[in-house]
Amino acid sequence: MIRKEEVAARLQLDCELATRVLTSFIKDAVDTTGADGVVVGLSGGVDSALSTALAARALGPERVLALLLPYRSSAPESSEDARAVAEQLGIEARTIDISPMIDAFFDTHEPEADQVRRGNKMARERMGILFDQAKKRRGLVLGTSNKTEILLGYSTIFGDNASSINPLGDLYKQQVWQLAEHLELPRSVVEKKPSADLWPGQTDEGELGFAYRTADEVLYLMFDRGLSAREIVARGYDAEVVSKIELLESRNRFKRRLMLIARLSSSAINLDREIPRD
Amino acid sequence: MSTKITVGIAQIDSRLGDVAANLERHLEWIGRAHERGADLLVFPELSLTGYRLLHLTGRVAAIPSESGAIRALIAAAGAMKVVVGLVEEDEKGVLYNTALVLRDGAIEQRHRKLYLPTYGIFQEGRFFGAGSDLSPPIDGLGLLICEDLWHPHLARSLALAGAKVLVVSSAGPGHLGPGAVPESQEAWEALTRAAALVNTCWVVYCNRVGWEEGSFYTGGSHVVRPGGEIVSRSPFLDEDLLVTEIDTREVDRLRWRLPLVRATRTDIEGTA
Repeated sequence: MIRKEEVAARLQLDCELATRVLTSFIKDAVDTTGADGVVVGLSGGVDSALSTALAARALGPERVLALLLPYRSSAPESSEDARAVAEQLGIEARTIDISPMIDAFFDTHEPEADQVRRGNKMARERMGILFDQAKKRRGLVLGTSNKTEILLGYSTIFGDNASSINPLGDLYKQQVWQLAEHLELPRSVVEKKPSADLWPGQTDEGELGFAYRTADEVLYLMFDRGLSAREIVARGYDAEVVSKIELLESRNRFKRRLMLIARLSSSAINLDREIPRD
Repeated sequence: MSTKITVGIAQIDSRLGDVAANLERHLEWIGRAHERGADLLVFPELSLTGYRLLHLTGRVAAIPSESGAIRALIAAAGAMKVVVGLVEEDEKGVLYNTALVLRDGAIEQRHRKLYLPTYGIFQEGRFFGAGSDLSPPIDGLGLLICEDLWHPHLARSLALAGAKVLVVSSAGPGHLGPGAVPESQEAWEALTRAAALVNTCWVVYCNRVGWEEGSFYTGGSHVVRPGGEIVSRSPFLDEDLLVTEIDTREVDRLRWRLPLVRATRTDIEGTA
């Protein structure tokens, strides 16, 4: 059975090969759907930077549109980093401030809303803009959610987790870092503390209560290798962290399924009739 | 057939569920293989229909003797043996994952996949019936489809029945590990090389490329010499026509000094 010291090595990728596979994924999806290109929300973080870089490689920079969608409380460095990425990749970047849309709703209808609800609203506002721009440009919305955050449910359903195609969804966070380094994305982007940047000072690891590298390893053992929480703890991982990850993983499974349809007929969509989309 | 065979492997992508588009591509590649002087051209598993069909399986099924696509392929094949993959429907309405050898105006050979993987990403058992027997080799050529090779006694049985060239059509999805070669490819090469070693025969492995439902096919098609040496290989992920000269006399020569097939204890192994 796999030992703790071996796990990190199992999460190493051959970056050249992985890049080739993921760029071919983007190219194939765009070609098969007949889209003109992709539209991506560029946040200044490493996930969206990597997704965008892969798309620029796959399609050429002229077929990638980056949207910077800050709210007034977003960290200014986020936009600077996002612009640096767009510049490095030679892609068009457009900024749309979402503050008026968000504020109009909460000021008028829900002044008491807490920051999580506001954060969710921002994520869905961004999604709405991305799909609008995709429609305008005959493009696909490029996803930026990695495997770690999908499994932990650390996302807004129908918000940042919504996309037409997602090249990162089978990459753990540290694999995202590996590829981002391999593609020589700006250091400030690769090395910054991951943050949803939905309110000042928010960090993923602060909010989750554990480090991504640990989460990746625990999730790999749990999800990829099928080990129980007890078996994972027996390999030297902190029991509290493992049970927290286990709880998040099981509680957020609903976010990984697009639609839960009540089956009435014997030909329900997806359950009885699995029709491939390709 | 002469002992010298020019083998072509058509490592193509297929459009899922679009037989007309795939037929077009087959005809084009058959033309290219003729130009290269191929005696045998192998297409991947379910090459005419695409692989991950799920509930589209029945919609693209064909009865070979009544299929216009098969007629067109037979006409294009001429004297070249062409191995194509399709969803075959029989007279009872059962669907099979089938490979056909087409040549000289006829369907020369037919293999219905015997092992239908239904685990992990694979769902074949839900949609297909399994074939009931191995089709005997013709001109020393034995046919297997993908998962069939993971059950080694089938390759052995074909060798015992006279196969000197094992043709394996595949739609093998790729996955990566830490290495520079896809993990899936390492497994396949272990299998094809072992089959060529223990059965002392040629192995022609054709895998497809392209994406279906977010899963890619590796490609990496190759030809293995009797004894296990890989003599030619297509790239990963890209379409490729791989043309390789082989000589079935190499099988005989190796079997003289390495009589594994001759020595097979069918009374114990239960094969043949």
